[in-house]
Amino acid sequence: MKNKNNNSPWSLKINTASLVLIPAAVGINYIGKLFAGMLKLPLWLDSIGTCLAAALAGPVVGAISGAINNIIYGVTMDPISTVYAFSQAGIGIVVGLMAYYGALKSLKGTLLTGIFGGAAAVVISTPLNIIFWGGTTGNLWGDLAYAAAVAKHFPLWQASTIDEIIVDIPDKIVVLLLVAALFKGLPKSLMSLYQSNHRIESLD
Amino acid sequence: MAEIKIENLKYRYPDTKELALDGITCDIKPGEFIGVIGRNGSGKSTFCQSLIGLVPNFYRGAYGGKVFIDDIEVRNVEVDELCQKVGMVFQNPFNQVTGSKLTVYEEIAFGLENFGIPRNEMKKRIDDALELLDIAKYRDRAPFDLSGGQMQRMAIASIIAMNPEIIVLDEPTSQLDPQGSEEVFKAVAKLSEKGITVIMVEHKIEKIAAYSDRIMLLDGGKLVAFDTPQEIFAREDLAEHGVVAPVYTRICKDLGLRVPGTDYYPVTLDEAHKLLACK
Amino acid sequence: MKSLSLYEDKQSFLNGLTPGCKAFYIIAALVIPAMLGNKLISIGFIVLSILLLTQSKVIRRTLPILAVSGFVLITVIIIQGLFRAGNETVVLDLGPVAFYKEGLIFAADIAINVLNIIFAFCVLVLTTKPSDIIESMVSRGFSPRIGYVFVSLFQLIPQMTERMSTITDAQRSRGMETEGSLLIRMKAFIPLISPVIMSSFIDTKERAIALEVRGFNSKEKKSFLNVFHANAASRPIYWILLIATVASVVWKLVMMFA
Repeated sequence: MKNKNNNSPWSLKINTASLVLIPAAVGINYIGKLFAGMLKLPLWLDSIGTCLAAALAGPVVGAISGAINNIIYGVTMDPISTVYAFSQAGIGIVVGLMAYYGALKSLKGTLLTGIFGGAAAVVISTPLNIIFWGGTTGNLWGDLAYAAAVAKHFPLWQASTIDEIIVDIPDKIVVLLLVAALFKGLPKSLMSLYQSNHRIESLD
Repeated sequence: MAEIKIENLKYRYPDTKELALDGITCDIKPGEFIGVIGRNGSGKSTFCQSLIGLVPNFYRGAYGGKVFIDDIEVRNVEVDELCQKVGMVFQNPFNQVTGSKLTVYEEIAFGLENFGIPRNEMKKRIDDALELLDIAKYRDRAPFDLSGGQMQRMAIASIIAMNPEIIVLDEPTSQLDPQGSEEVFKAVAKLSEKGITVIMVEHKIEKIAAYSDRIMLLDGGKLVAFDTPQEIFAREDLAEHGVVAPVYTRICKDLGLRVPGTDYYPVTLDEAHKLLACK
Repeated sequence: MKSLSLYEDKQSFLNGLTPGCKAFYIIAALVIPAMLGNKLISIGFIVLSILLLTQSKVIRRTLPILAVSGFVLITVIIIQGLFRAGNETVVLDLGPVAFYKEGLIFAADIAINVLNIIFAFCVLVLTTKPSDIIESMVSRGFSPRIGYVFVSLFQLIPQMTERMSTITDAQRSRGMETEGSLLIRMKAFIPLISPVIMSSFIDTKERAIALEVRGFNSKEKKSFLNVFHANAASRPIYWILLIATVASVVWKLVMMFA
């Protein structure tokens, strides 16, 4: 089911309520990453905020959240991660669109959103991995798969894609399951704030 | 100075069925100190936000009636066109810190920068606001390092620097400790002395009784009464509307002590004290 | 005050350059070597960046940043050195596996590129106040609203992590397990992070209206409280970088079509 307000999902008019979702989203990404590290989980969990903002306010806000997220990483911890702003933006767009068309309302839709979001990340990140890192990701399991694939004479881009799939797809599925649960838990009164062209009815 | 005129104001939030404001009509004169009381969910915050156009322009929903600030009809203008005339302070001081400024001084500048106020004028206004709110000594501190009461006074200073004629405060002390609340009340009293119209939602009933020229009692989105504190707290139906009179008023009522020459019970500590001392 | 920013004011030469000038330095450091296809130029930029950072007394602050990428670079050297397609010439024989010259050279190229990016970035981010970068962008027409989002993050993220550590302590004192098997740790994650997420999103409403009543959407042209005092070298350096970058692009185009 489509959102009843029929805002175009591509509207570039971002109201203040949607705009302040962006810092919250980036902060949550950051905390997710910190926790995943603290609990030594084998996942990144660093896109919860991006996906939640995308689900609430659409693909444009999702994309901006994702991009700003990596730029902030870039200027505070890891300059190279700036270029992956494109992948995060891609995830935001895919999740925002899927949520717009109601995918997060069912388990099947949520899993699909996770897979598509992860796939967007793979498609964008893999060429970047090849340009900047020769195709590896720095993730232990992914890089082991890469090494095995290269040793078996797979072409570089295939090995690199396998590496990135291992890094991204399971992670995004877990993230989207979390996001769908949180999405249901947020108060309804918040949701209407993000629809900027909602008309004001007259009571006169 | 700005006059407020409200005619049959009605409002319903999006995706809800009940009216949050239901047929409010009243006038507020320049320089008045208006207390707004009522139980939770009675429409106090919604009413406040209707004075600066957040209702309906930020929330959308359904709206009826008219709110005028002088001759500006609130619903027809954007919030940013009104906020140099009407300022607003909220409950949680923390959420009012922009996060984009490193010192109290810069934080207060935020609104002024948005309106393109020239630098010298800006500095003068910030200095005045710091002085008025008694926070000049924290000017170089980081906004998030302040205590709740200091942070709330900074929030008020940020609004006052924009030179509003009306300031609306929505439970500005509800998240503060007693000392912090006291600081905020003193600051608000000063604003009122300067001639700024103050509209303040507050649960600390003794305070509101002491400061207000008139009190609005809201319930279920309706304006139950709008009168002097003496009239309001002499009412027999307060409990039905989820409000209790100040403790002094209740004691004197029990003792049958009215202010000499009137039908009212005392509403402030001073009045009650005089009466009880006579006794 | 906690801020994520790596900036420190040391009254140095780099502190006095305009943000735009240092931003152009990053572009030049990346574009010129790429256009001329010469690794020596990348190395030249790395050396120049290190000298500038040392002169500005912030070279130590590059270490944590280098550590993040350094770890990944080591895996690159191992993987490419051992497995890269086209590996022929053995440099180091370790019995079951061997490092090859071709893979190691490839890895070295990657390392040079990565280090160049890191040091060039550091020239900007270690010596420039984030709000100065954004204000200079906004005065050139960048959206002040998006600019606000950037600058606010440097303080809002530490605020959120602080709140999170309060929650972590509370959950631990109630006996929640944060160590143990993967399943236990996964289960710990949700109650830890959910309250922070929920309250952050709910707070956004109040933050949004608090911004609105301070003229956040004002259509007036913004003014700025602070003035950036740039040193005299900013302008000539900016032009030198600009001309050198454009020249390298032109040279590349000429070589392609000549």
